[in-house]
Amino acid sequence: MSSQKHPSHFAATRVVHQTKCGVILLCLLMVLSFAALSQVDTNTANTKQTSAAIDLNKTKQWQHILQEAQQQTVYFYAWGGDPQVNSYIQWVAKQVLERYQVKLVHVKLAQTSDAVSRVLAEKSAQNTTNGQVDMLWINGQNFANMAKNNLLEPSWVEQLPNFTLTNPTQNPAMTRDFGVPTQGMEAPWGRAALTFYHNSKYSPNPPMTLPELQTWSRQHPGRFTYAKPPDFLGLSFLKYALIVLNQSQDPQVFKLLYETPTTNSQQLLLKPLWQFLDNLHPYLWREGSYFVNDGASLRRLVGDNEILLSFTFTAPDIPAAVARYDLPVNIRSYAMLDGSLSNVHFVGIPFNAAHKSGAKVVVNYLMSIEAQAKKQQSAVWGDSTVLDLSILKTQQQNLFASSSQHLSALPVSNSPSLSEPHPAWVNLLTEEWLKRYGAH
Amino acid sequence: MAPYTSFFTRWVNYSPTLLVVLILVPVGAGLLGVLLPAFGWLPALGESTFNTRGFTALWNTAGFMSMALLSYATSLISTLIVVIISCFILASYFNSKLLSYVQRVLGPILVIPHAAAAIAIGFLIAPSGFVMRLFSPWLTGVEQPPDILLPNDPFGLSIIIGLVLKELPFILLMTLAALQQKEINHTINAHFSLAKSLGYHPFTGFFKVVLPTLYPFMRLPIYAILAYSSASIEIPLILGPNAPPTLAVAIMQWFNDVDLNLRIKASAGAIAQLFVTLLVLFSWWLFEKLVMAFAKSSLVNGRRVYADRAWRILTHCITLLIIFAIIFSLMGLILWSFAGYWSFPHAFPDTLVSTHWQNVLSQIPETLSNTLIVGVVSTSLALVLTLFALEAEQQQQKPLSTATSLLIYLPLLIPSIAFLFGIVWMKEQIGGGSVFLYVIMGHLLFVLPYVFLSMATSFRKLDQRYAAVAASLGCSPWRIFWQVKLPQLSIPMLFTYALGLAISFSQYLPTLLLGGGRINTLTTEAVALSSGSSRRLTAVYVIMQLALPALGFLLAWLIPKIIFRQRQ
Repeated sequence: MSSQKHPSHFAATRVVHQTKCGVILLCLLMVLSFAALSQVDTNTANTKQTSAAIDLNKTKQWQHILQEAQQQTVYFYAWGGDPQVNSYIQWVAKQVLERYQVKLVHVKLAQTSDAVSRVLAEKSAQNTTNGQVDMLWINGQNFANMAKNNLLEPSWVEQLPNFTLTNPTQNPAMTRDFGVPTQGMEAPWGRAALTFYHNSKYSPNPPMTLPELQTWSRQHPGRFTYAKPPDFLGLSFLKYALIVLNQSQDPQVFKLLYETPTTNSQQLLLKPLWQFLDNLHPYLWREGSYFVNDGASLRRLVGDNEILLSFTFTAPDIPAAVARYDLPVNIRSYAMLDGSLSNVHFVGIPFNAAHKSGAKVVVNYLMSIEAQAKKQQSAVWGDSTVLDLSILKTQQQNLFASSSQHLSALPVSNSPSLSEPHPAWVNLLTEEWLKRYGAH
Repeated sequence: MAPYTSFFTRWVNYSPTLLVVLILVPVGAGLLGVLLPAFGWLPALGESTFNTRGFTALWNTAGFMSMALLSYATSLISTLIVVIISCFILASYFNSKLLSYVQRVLGPILVIPHAAAAIAIGFLIAPSGFVMRLFSPWLTGVEQPPDILLPNDPFGLSIIIGLVLKELPFILLMTLAALQQKEINHTINAHFSLAKSLGYHPFTGFFKVVLPTLYPFMRLPIYAILAYSSASIEIPLILGPNAPPTLAVAIMQWFNDVDLNLRIKASAGAIAQLFVTLLVLFSWWLFEKLVMAFAKSSLVNGRRVYADRAWRILTHCITLLIIFAIIFSLMGLILWSFAGYWSFPHAFPDTLVSTHWQNVLSQIPETLSNTLIVGVVSTSLALVLTLFALEAEQQQQKPLSTATSLLIYLPLLIPSIAFLFGIVWMKEQIGGGSVFLYVIMGHLLFVLPYVFLSMATSFRKLDQRYAAVAASLGCSPWRIFWQVKLPQLSIPMLFTYALGLAISFSQYLPTLLLGGGRINTLTTEAVALSSGSSRRLTAVYVIMQLALPALGFLLAWLIPKIIFRQRQ
């Protein structure tokens, strides 16, 4: 699907570069004159005027980005394992080409860390301006790693007009990724919560809480499992258990989950988890002696009736998989009553991306009302929006209203949302889990 | 031969150097990209001192020894089984029509990419798999799949099954390609007839008379699969255990881990993998010596028969079992590609639909053309270079140096994920250039050794007297090469070409890493999809992956038939 027309492509960018210089000079002049004007007016200037100046400045800057983005080809590195997500990105590509003359190419990854490796390799080769990756879909551990190693472009998200629609000042989740401040390195794209699904033919009464899961497993030995860390979904299950098991602890202790782990906090918080797992594992699929490598294999096992209960971060994909015949028709989705682990997923731009303006234009479009509403439709992707619907007009809000519900889709629930622990716990969980259960 | 230089001979002289440069530069740079981090040097992460932190971490990894042992044992055992079965099949069906039937049935397996084969075999032997469905519930009495540890058993049995099914055709076809050469065929047949006339039973006769002559031609392919299987990724990843996995799989997971610091341990692991692979090769070499020492006396003890009938019946059973396993795997794939929902324990999908095929076919043209361009260019380059290098050997009348021959196989000895990361690093140093070019160079690294392996024996065993006669009649080296040598090699060349294409079609990591993900081939699409959960779409891609190289082999088989018919 990616067409590669190098020579002509390079020629085109050269022309753009020449006009680019002119545009940059012009903008610089404008900014300077604005600064000069506001200095002359210091005495009479009120806050309203300065903010208007800033807004105007921002608009100019955005116009400039839009202009620069034209004819750019943006390479979006995103996980390509889901046909629904892939065709949504195709739809976005069509829209941005028509509206902004930006050509968007989806580079389908088997795992996001492949793209992280690429940017790292480019950095170690001192490629600082001509990176292959223009945009990438990340969150959590991948983000924390990239941020730590300065692999992401900082402070660009505030430039995007649509970012204000997420109401970031009121919505801290939009600027924190697993508790780590995003510092404008990535823009929110969607929201996900850990959703369980079960085969209602063989297991009509699924467990609704973590303790119930324990008893359910004893009644259905070998019919539940989770993916082996460091798989994202497997770790999510462990984090869900970690949070729920420690909810009864002293709030001062529970709070430690959202800080970098120390020897002391590990001692206090991990103990209940290992106890729980030691009791659970003998009743898991293959008695816990083998864990699948990824979340997709879990769904395949449900499809094969080997296991009867599983969980996912992409709830809308469950009815879609039923429609694609990948899951049996008697699959039902539900949220655990003791809470659902929730997080936001983001789009970042590497520090050395070759087409930053184009990427910004695409990201801005991803956060538009139209694109977000389309994404939330369960027939398209069903990924929850990051926009703050309360600041939209009623007409705009209606775009997000859900149509008829599929039998296997997640019903509305009041499961409390559990926020992700500090990302440093992820490494620790993986390491300790592998030590305990990784080698028999 | 008088020194004679022409455009052709000059290029022939350069070719071994060119060959070595094409392999050594990327692999060398790639290795450097492994060695430096293995000793703690990774400036991008702010690590710029040399230490043995990586090796310490590796040693302290839970289950490190089990990982190494699993890699070592599965590789050695599966190869041993492959060699034994190959010998049995050859011995039982030598000089009989059945051999060509077996060849025709096994041939297609050679071209199935490892990942695809693993997926197909997994579906065959899983508790909810095809075999179980065929016998349930009428025989087994189960309505739900039993919870047994197959595949992914901790002993690596499933890995061994996968490797045996996948590598057996390779050894068999390589041996048959050698057998089809007139010279070898002639010698072996003469020996075999003599043995038979002396009263040796065919099975015993084969082992005593044919195998000692034939084994040298099987040797390189055997070493190639030993090295490959000790460091392979796809089969152990899909069929193997993961608590702990094989060393190569663990290394790949560390390289892919979101924790970038694990890369240091991964690099150290790659060095350890190199030692495991060398140990496997050394063990086989030792095993060869032992067999030779012990078998020598029985070769000449004059005994004409060793329960020949029993061995032949056993061979029939094994062959049938393998053929059924293959047929059922393929049938499973085809059924999945058309399946609506397919509930357990039904042996047939609940409904048949064509939506999966429609989905794939609507997206495929560009993927297909990418796959073909990269495959054809890299295989053609590899074949020309190989032929020139082998010709140089004959013109200079001295074999390639040991170092050169070893270097050619280097890409097969080192886990590709390790040195490919280094190559990406080098590519960044150079900057620019067409993505296609890099992908083709990357494929060349893996296509070249196989092409060389498959071509070398036949070329080296060419009867030099034809060339000598032609030279004495005043033919230029180019004419000798073009009109005397190549026509004699047309069958192995076609086979080699088809093999090269198949190898190129199945490359995943080089395509992904060097293409920066911007070039999608059938294999990259299939692997990306297999990370999702739609077994149906994966099945469609796997069938396409299978059909393309199979077409290559079909042509390799048909073309000589058509040409030779015309000549007669």
